[in-house]
Amino acid sequence: MAQFLQQMVNGLALGSIYALIALGYTMVYGIIALINFAYGEIYMFGAFTGLFLVLTWKANLYLAIFGAMAFTTVLGLVVERVAYRPLRRSRNAGRLSALISAIGASIFLSTLMVLLHGPATTGFPTLFQNRNFVLGGASISLYQILIIGVSALLMVGLDLFVRYTKTGRAMRALSQDADAAALMGVNTDLMIAITFAIGSALAGAAGVLAGIYFNAVQPYMGLMAGLKAFAAAVLGGIGSIPGAVVGGLLIGLAEIMGVAAKLSDWKDAFAFAILILVLLVKPSGLLGRSIIKKV
Amino acid sequence: MSTVDNSVSGAVPGAPAPRRQPAWLKLWPVQALLFLALLVAVWAVTEALNLVIPAYQGQILLFTGINVIITLGLNLITGVTGQLSLGHAAFMAIGAYAAAICTVSLHLPFALALLLGGLVAALFGVVLGFPTLRLSGDYLAIATLGFAEIVRVVNTNLKITNGAIGYYGIQKRVDLPLVAMLAVAAVAAMAWLENSRNGRAMRSVREDEIAATASGVNTTFYKIQAFAVGAFFAGVGGGLYAHTTTFIQPTDFGFLKSVEQLSMVVLGGMGSIAGTVLGTIVLTAAPELLRFMSNYRMLVYGATLIVLMIFRPGGLLGGVDLRDAVRRALMLGRSRTVRTSVGGDGQ
Amino acid sequence: MRRLSAKGFLALLLVAAMAVSVAGCSTGSSSGKSDNGPIKIGFLGAKTGNVAIYGLNGLKGLHMAIDEINAAGGVLGRQIQLLEEDDAGQKDQATNITTKYVTADHVAAIIGDPTTGITRVAGQIANSHETVIMSFGSTGTGVVEIGPYVFRDTLLDAIAGPAMVDYAISKKGWKNFALVTSKNNDFSVSLSSIFRDAIKAKGGNIVVEESIQDGDTDFSGQVTNIKAKSPDVIVFSGYYTEGGLIMKEVRKQGLNNVVMIGGDGLQGADFWKLGGEATEGSISYAGFSSEQASGKTADFIKKFHDKYNEDPELFAAQAYDAIYIIASAMKAANSADPKVYRDKLAQTKNYEGVSGTITFRENREPLKSPVYLLQVSGAKDPASAKFTLLDKVPVK
Repeated sequence: MAQFLQQMVNGLALGSIYALIALGYTMVYGIIALINFAYGEIYMFGAFTGLFLVLTWKANLYLAIFGAMAFTTVLGLVVERVAYRPLRRSRNAGRLSALISAIGASIFLSTLMVLLHGPATTGFPTLFQNRNFVLGGASISLYQILIIGVSALLMVGLDLFVRYTKTGRAMRALSQDADAAALMGVNTDLMIAITFAIGSALAGAAGVLAGIYFNAVQPYMGLMAGLKAFAAAVLGGIGSIPGAVVGGLLIGLAEIMGVAAKLSDWKDAFAFAILILVLLVKPSGLLGRSIIKKV
Repeated sequence: MSTVDNSVSGAVPGAPAPRRQPAWLKLWPVQALLFLALLVAVWAVTEALNLVIPAYQGQILLFTGINVIITLGLNLITGVTGQLSLGHAAFMAIGAYAAAICTVSLHLPFALALLLGGLVAALFGVVLGFPTLRLSGDYLAIATLGFAEIVRVVNTNLKITNGAIGYYGIQKRVDLPLVAMLAVAAVAAMAWLENSRNGRAMRSVREDEIAATASGVNTTFYKIQAFAVGAFFAGVGGGLYAHTTTFIQPTDFGFLKSVEQLSMVVLGGMGSIAGTVLGTIVLTAAPELLRFMSNYRMLVYGATLIVLMIFRPGGLLGGVDLRDAVRRALMLGRSRTVRTSVGGDGQ
Repeated sequence: MRRLSAKGFLALLLVAAMAVSVAGCSTGSSSGKSDNGPIKIGFLGAKTGNVAIYGLNGLKGLHMAIDEINAAGGVLGRQIQLLEEDDAGQKDQATNITTKYVTADHVAAIIGDPTTGITRVAGQIANSHETVIMSFGSTGTGVVEIGPYVFRDTLLDAIAGPAMVDYAISKKGWKNFALVTSKNNDFSVSLSSIFRDAIKAKGGNIVVEESIQDGDTDFSGQVTNIKAKSPDVIVFSGYYTEGGLIMKEVRKQGLNNVVMIGGDGLQGADFWKLGGEATEGSISYAGFSSEQASGKTADFIKKFHDKYNEDPELFAAQAYDAIYIIASAMKAANSADPKVYRDKLAQTKNYEGVSGTITFRENREPLKSPVYLLQVSGAKDPASAKFTLLDKVPVK
């Protein structure tokens, strides 16, 4: 029982990281329906920025997180400006061209980091003393509490932002009908840029937190994390903020429960098997709106 | 199915107009003979070429040919039928393992092993085709991605594939003339399929699924058919790959391989055979051509993808009708109507 | 038909230029096998992609060795020229490069690939073109069996693995083992089966088996499982990156008195850089010990540190040895032609390398004796931590 509880805690912490990355993913997708493949690399750059700040300027936890968020915001905007916006403007560009451009950006960014840093995995220096709390036989660490707490906070904040601010309303309008929103006076380019900025900032925060939690930062860390986050976003219903969190938590829990059930050989298949099963039953994801296509 | 032909040719803007050809050219024995003659010519040319060109360039050509066979399959699924697949490498893996097991463990002849590899992959194509009944667009993309990941994990854990250690002891059975003949045959088969009633029906699924259904096209059937045929091509390509490198591991067919194959199709021009071939040539040769850049190679590769998509978003040959261009250049006929739609906006 | 825009035309032109240059690729007329000019050596390994770390580490050792050799006047009065192409860890690219090395560049030898998988692929090609290939990292089966031109200078796990298990059971008195395998790493899968057999043969129990994947960073589930079985020691067959991270998680979950033992995959400073204090006392094996280093090894470590400001990793040392072994065979045969010097190479006996004392057996498998069992000490401060000598086990 204690072991089961412990695995639940492990699963929740891992799921929170997936959820954190999935939040940014789902936002960008919700607005412009673009699978932003470079998102995982922005997350990776966030982790490296945090690492850099801690190593060279002896930054504390908050400085590292905010510094990384600031840097990835700029990076996200640059990627949007260079790799995506020209395609959005072009009459002939289909969504697949944008996808390939995103893949190009992803290859570019991860190779750039290999050149800057080398391919080795680097550990994160200890920023604060870790402590274990024992709850009903399962021990939960300060790191895990931090991860779960930050994810919850960001999810609520983001949901409130999208629901109640003017910018948030404009974003939602844009996601429903870009042309109509533009006609109503929504500056679509600005809104998309803001979406990218917020999404990238979230990825930056996620990168630093994941770096601290896993104690490992590596140039190719974005790929698998990005894929899992994508799966989480789709599982929860892409475009839905609570959905991303639910999807992330479910995938994290499923992986850890798979390990607990002595099926760790098949761990990487779980996330996707669950995803496919859910999609077959409810193609729009758990919390997604289903869109009926009309003639 | 007899209604399909009439309805589809009306529904698709890009459907080729009937060609004015001499009647004897339309007889199938004549076409079959011409095709055989073409294959023999390709064989003769590549045999000769094999003697002249250096081994290194020959090796690149060989991989290009294998990739062409595989990406033509993906082009049918994604380019022609409009079903975005991010897991094409899984079919390649299935074909590679199946063919390798056939020659190494079952001692079957190589040709039969290749065929079986293709057929096993096609079977999985049908299995994967079923989710497409309910999914579309990016949801389908992530499902295919998931399928590929599952195939990789299964290959890592099965005894028969020898897990992560990999399957070795495969004989090298592939040479340039063989690959060239198969690649040309693949191009011909695809051209034939795309210009047939089935091909037009597939195209109609991409252009507008609802309109296609309304016109009496059994979209389910054609989607599954596209997956089966596309997977068959990938499976045959996988079998060739296994008998070229002589050793395969589950990691050879990961997500990045699928992405690479999709890039080839999109870069060349979705839905266009010539485009797919060109895209495949460019991207297979690119890592070799960019070698002089040493460590900056992949950086340039990534940047090139972005730049090309910005300047030629429809792919290198997107919006260019090759046959039309050639005909115009030779002044053989009047230019046909302009095709404005570029693949990829499907669903 | 849509007209090409100027930009589109430029893009097409770019591609056309690339296509033309494939045809114009020079075939390289000067031959490494000819008697004058530099001796060409081809490096095979990944410089990009997710196994780049092994290739890049090897390359550091290679550069150092070649600079030294050339500064000392080269081999047979000729300088060594290193060709270094990136195979990105992919078999098709490795096939292309190896073909280029043996048919266009006519290299005198290929050094690489660090992985068993790609060495199997490249070995076929090099062997059929009668060019020596020496891997500085592969330990799996099916490598030297390819043919007479395929070599490697690694410490074979089939020899060292059982020596390690024997020490754990008879000297340390550990009985209950937790065995962790990295399931997508062929090296780890092979070594685990060696460990498994050795533990059973020597009367130990495997109380729990867990699997991970290279590139994983979350091991909480596996460690919770391990903790529930309270083993005496954790046996891990993979590399230092995952090894360090697993130990970190082991301590995080409060499993305090258990150390890790493993193969030479754990030989890397990143083991304690990532695992920190948790790796203190963990045991690994290698063909040498930096404490008992012959003058040569100590010298190598010092010079490596001066040049790259870091400690040499195992693959760097083995790549360094590979080029020196080949160079001395060339000297002994008085020829840089692989067909000629191959026989001398195969007769290499008790070569004092920086990664151990190397003898090639009849089947060209390397024998490094003794096996050094090494223990991590001083992990609290990763900057000064190191492997200290625990025991020396002669093998044959």
